[in-house]
Amino acid sequence: MADIYTQQWYEEVKNAINNKVAGMKKLPEGTWQIAIEIVGDGVSPYVLQGQERHFLASIDQGTCLWYKEIDDDTEQQDQKIKLDYRFRGNASKFDEIAAGIMDPIDAALGGEIKVKGDMRFLLRQADQVQALLEAYSNDVSTDWPKGKPPY
Amino acid sequence: MSKVYEYDAVVIGAGHNGLCLAAYLGRAGLKTVVVERRHEEGGGVNTEEPVLPGFRHNLHAQYMEFFDVMPMIQDFKLEDLGLRTIMPEAQAGITFKDGRPPIVIHRPDLLELTHKSIARYSKQDADMYVELKKRAMSIETLLAVNLYTPPVESGTVDQGEMTEAFFGDLGVTKNFVMKSPKAVIDELFETSELRALLYRATVEWGFPVDTACTGAAFLTFIMWTMGNWKLVKGGTHSLAKAMTQACYANGVDLLESSPVEKILLEGKRAVGVQLKDGSIIKANKLVASNADLKQTLLKMVGEENLSDTWRKRSKAFRYGPSHVLGTLAYCLYEAPDYKSAKHDPYINKCFYTMVGFEDEHDTIAYIRDAYDDRLPKPAAGTWVNSLWDSTQAPANRHSATGWYFLPKAGALSQQEWEEVRRTYNAEFYKVWGQYALNMTQANVIAEKIYTPDQMEKKNMMMEGDFSNGEFAPDQMGANRPFPEASQYRTEIEGLYLCGPSAYPGGGVHAACGTNAYKVISKDFDLMDSIVPSRGY
Amino acid sequence: MITQYDVIIIGAGHNGLTLGAYLARSGLSVVVLEARHEEGGGLSTEELTYPGFLHNVHANYHTFVDLAPPVSDLKIREHGVQYVKPEVQMASIYPDNTALVVYDDIEKTAASFARFSQKDAETFLRLYKEAHGYVDLLLGTLMFEPPMSVKELTKALSVFKVGNRSQFLSVKLRKETINQFLDEHFENSKIKAHLAFHGAVCGYGNNIEGLAIGFPLLVGKINNWHLSIGGSHRLAHALWRDLANHGGVLITDARVDGIVVENKKAVGVKLQDGTELKANKCVVSTVSVEQTFLEFIDRKKSDDDLLEPEFVNKVQNEILHQSWSLFSVHLAMSQAPNYIAAEFEPDVNKAWVVNLGYDSLEALNDDWDVIAKNGLPDPRPNVAVNSLYDPTDAPDGCYTGLIRQFAPYEIGSDGPAAWDEISGIYGQKCIDAWAKFAPNLKDEAILKWATYSPHDITAKLPNMVRGDWMMGQITLSNMLDQRPTSELGGYRTPIKDLYMAGSTQHPHGFITFGPAYNALSVIAEDLGIERWWREV
Ligand SMILES: Cc1cc2nc3c(=O)[nH]c(=O)nc-3n(C[C@H](O)[C@H](O)[C@H](O)COP(=O)(O)OP(=O)(O)OC[C@H]3O[C@@H](n4cnc5c(N)ncnc54)[C@H](O)[C@@H]3O)c2cc1C
Ligand SMILES: Cc1cc2nc3c(=O)[nH]c(=O)nc-3n(C[C@H](O)[C@H](O)[C@H](O)COP(=O)(O)OP(=O)(O)OC[C@H]3O[C@@H](n4cnc5c(N)ncnc54)[C@H](O)[C@@H]3O)c2cc1C
Repeated sequence: MADIYTQQWYEEVKNAINNKVAGMKKLPEGTWQIAIEIVGDGVSPYVLQGQERHFLASIDQGTCLWYKEIDDDTEQQDQKIKLDYRFRGNASKFDEIAAGIMDPIDAALGGEIKVKGDMRFLLRQADQVQALLEAYSNDVSTDWPKGKPPY
Repeated sequence: MSKVYEYDAVVIGAGHNGLCLAAYLGRAGLKTVVVERRHEEGGGVNTEEPVLPGFRHNLHAQYMEFFDVMPMIQDFKLEDLGLRTIMPEAQAGITFKDGRPPIVIHRPDLLELTHKSIARYSKQDADMYVELKKRAMSIETLLAVNLYTPPVESGTVDQGEMTEAFFGDLGVTKNFVMKSPKAVIDELFETSELRALLYRATVEWGFPVDTACTGAAFLTFIMWTMGNWKLVKGGTHSLAKAMTQACYANGVDLLESSPVEKILLEGKRAVGVQLKDGSIIKANKLVASNADLKQTLLKMVGEENLSDTWRKRSKAFRYGPSHVLGTLAYCLYEAPDYKSAKHDPYINKCFYTMVGFEDEHDTIAYIRDAYDDRLPKPAAGTWVNSLWDSTQAPANRHSATGWYFLPKAGALSQQEWEEVRRTYNAEFYKVWGQYALNMTQANVIAEKIYTPDQMEKKNMMMEGDFSNGEFAPDQMGANRPFPEASQYRTEIEGLYLCGPSAYPGGGVHAACGTNAYKVISKDFDLMDSIVPSRGY
Repeated sequence: MITQYDVIIIGAGHNGLTLGAYLARSGLSVVVLEARHEEGGGLSTEELTYPGFLHNVHANYHTFVDLAPPVSDLKIREHGVQYVKPEVQMASIYPDNTALVVYDDIEKTAASFARFSQKDAETFLRLYKEAHGYVDLLLGTLMFEPPMSVKELTKALSVFKVGNRSQFLSVKLRKETINQFLDEHFENSKIKAHLAFHGAVCGYGNNIEGLAIGFPLLVGKINNWHLSIGGSHRLAHALWRDLANHGGVLITDARVDGIVVENKKAVGVKLQDGTELKANKCVVSTVSVEQTFLEFIDRKKSDDDLLEPEFVNKVQNEILHQSWSLFSVHLAMSQAPNYIAAEFEPDVNKAWVVNLGYDSLEALNDDWDVIAKNGLPDPRPNVAVNSLYDPTDAPDGCYTGLIRQFAPYEIGSDGPAAWDEISGIYGQKCIDAWAKFAPNLKDEAILKWATYSPHDITAKLPNMVRGDWMMGQITLSNMLDQRPTSELGGYRTPIKDLYMAGSTQHPHGFITFGPAYNALSVIAEDLGIERWWREV
């Protein structure tokens, strides 16, 4: 099965986010580094059981500069990237979110996706966060039909 | 929940001697852990609020007579870590029921006041006391060297001749070293009231008064410590805090609530300890024990692992009746106002006040009762720390504490001790009221007594003996705990003693820990972290 | 004594020590000043009855273990703290000797609930699961971050449509009492009583408007109660060790009675004994608002406009204190309780904590009414036997027991001192109330007991004003950035370089570490300290 986490896909996510926030007021100052860690759980075919895939996004003044996969932890360490947020969870959950059938807030509230970082800021920027999540889960066209993961 | 840890050095017991040794080991670069069975560090260096919140009592050690010479205090700058002291002017006193003049021993820098006080009874005794005190102070360094050096057989020097050479002009002859402290006191002083004070002080500060062959110690050691006492601000436990902090600052770990059950051996070598919960602490270099001798050798090492000589000698080691005390703790509205104060108000602000002794006969009967396993008629040595250190009691209140001499723990049954706890304080309080009229029931907020059997349970001070080993000539000096073990080493390679079962015995001097470090640092070629400029 | 530090922290409770350790780890020179002879404040363990029986005088239940970041940041377990999470966490025994049990295992808990109501058991499971999911996210947001305003929070909750997503959590809860919440979702009165009691033990009064908002979170960690082996004080030792390992210093017996202010900036403190210490960077108070601004700041001496009169007035008159305090009985026991209710539910004999006697919300409400009128309710205490899970807190074969009873700070019109008279009698009543459910707790089963009243709490820890163990009431108006006043809600104060970091601040009292952790963020921001701790 073709990989869904492709370069093209990242670009689409990036553009979707940027379209979403383009019209918004009160965008947060500064640059934000966000890591997304997807853990293979034996359900998703994209990240094998026992493996992890790590992605890094950089958001500047509310705009996504880039969104890319990084090789592994060592790369993160080597580059001494200082993270502001880390989202971590099982691959099937992330797949479901990308497929639009799992609400990302529910996933976070339910503890299925662990969030680390300054929560207060996330709450204060609730509008923007909401937009960002929507972009991720609804606005990106995927190879498979919305409403179901491709497996 | 058992675990495995690994260290270079394991010290059993977080008494002040254990903490002292550990701090030096840590500073010398050894990865060190102190393993303590209680939840609190310090052992006998203890302060609690046993009766009411805000009223502090030193349940064990109270008088700090070695601080000027204790190496650890300077080597680890304990003052920067919170150790502060107060030295009251009036140090020890005795007061009387009929209100006749008290005798008050003052600080060494106030000898003229001491002289004046004794001279009320006898000018000759006052002269003698002051002269003896000066002599004893002049040999402070010698005494300190003695204390902070592993003990040596006196052998070559004749103690008697030395004593006569030094004190001869005061009528002391070489046979004085064969006498008991009581005999020495009786020969040098004529006043019964003064004798009464000195007997008790001698027992408290080290030596059973009736034991022959310890008389010289009265002239030197006891007279040196007389009136040299400091109060640890905040309570004696602050010393343990500062010592522990020195340990932490030097990377030493402390493991509380962890009774050691076994010392682990590989052949004849100590390689670690096992805790009650099964955890194992490996010791790559050494194990040192601040616990008492019998527990360390017979229980932790195990009889089966000792040679005949060591097993026999350990079994023969005795605890008590010397150095067995009970502690009284009172929460008061007012500090006692003694009848005798009309002659000398200092007695009301005296660091240590003896109550219940009218003359030498009372004191000696009291001491002999306790030593012979009889409950003495209530009398006590008392203090009110809140007079100098206001934080030791709530505003306008006082915490009074004191000591009874009591039989050793095993002399009475559990029920009998329970009875003592129920009644003894009340009996004593009646006596106290005869010496200080304001000591009425209305002046007492609450009180408690703490008995030798409880000291044994709390700190493993066996029989309630705070030296964990009787003070008798065959168990003192280079004979402590027995000649083969006197250098802190044991026959088990890598196992050392660092508690008061070893030389010099009980008291807050940290000499057992300091000396053990000296021996260990030789054996392991450790840096000399004891400042050498001190001369000892 | 060193008299100059970068940071001076007043009070060595868990908040003062935690903050000190983080700052010392950040390379600052830090001193923590503690009035008592012991560090730890609410983390105190003492042998109140007999040697070897460890009684947690204040905090006994550690409910934020592994939820509060300092537990891992400061390596508390490596410093020797051993937490146990009892398998049978808590039980309620009702007057008819039926019983409900909360297990570590939540499915088993639900099964126990189901014996009273199948429907409630299902509701409970759903509530628990939903709330437990939030715990991570919301606790991090609501407790371990400097607070947002209620308004901001409400807005965020509605943007994220939390109300729609959740069955239990909704914005309207901020207008409800816990009673209302329980009545809305549950049917069985015993189950409701248990849940309400659980809230009250955590400081959340069940009849206080608005506290329903916090209730789901309490349920989410209902089975996260931990016991610290060897007593709660062990945590204080661990925090101290971390502080001292990193060059920080704890000074005990250092009662602060003044904050030195120059040019409207806090530059140091003055101790009760007159010593002055200078702070290069800042002074942090973890004691009460009243002490800090009414006692420590010399308002006469300093500029008139140092503190706004309106602020001073608030501190004098408007600080909200918990309207009920705690009366405790500490017991040395030779038997563990054997409950009549064990016939109904054998596991009650294994329960760490047992609530006795409340079978309805009304019963609980009635007692609040009695307490509000400064009356003493007939005891319906909660009791704990730590020894069931801690093999080190009592001599072999014995048990350490704890009774806690909600009680007023003042009794009738006689004020708090009336406790000193009545404690013994009320203590006996509490024991009798326990023995009614566990008839073996009589005679020789109880070796000794000691009481600890609301009056004693304040006598020991003056920062707990009026026996206020939460150091500020938990109510909606005293929450988040409004706690304890709008001026102080952000840990900064009207005086530059003076911060508040004790339980007076958000989130509240209890061993949460929250106030210190959040103040740390603010102080780090002001001092430009790089955050090594909040590793994302
Ligand atoms: C009532 C009383 C009054 C005193 N007054 C004075 C005084 O005024 N001045 C003075 O200088 N001295 C005084 N002392 C004596 C002094 O307190 C002691 O001699 C001194 O504290 C001994 O110190 P230590 O460190 O060697 O041993 P301890 O303080 O006894 O410490 C030994 C430690 O080892 C621990 N331990 C034992 N067994 C084990 C085990 N199996 N596993 C782990 N840990 C173990 C114990 O719990 C204890 O903490 C007094 C003593 C008492 C009892
Ligand atoms: C009876 C009782 C039972 C409790 N049970 C629990 C429980 O089971 N679980 C739980 O989590 N919590 C419990 N608590 C609450 C908990 O103990 C407190 O909320 C918590 O200890 C507060 O921590 P803190 O560091 O903010 O303050 P504290 O722990 O009170 O520390 C403040 C420190 O400041 C010191 N201080 C005061 N004035 C000065 C001054 N002028 N100068 C220098 N120092 C000063 C005090 O001596 C104290 O050590 C209980 C409290 C009580 C009273």
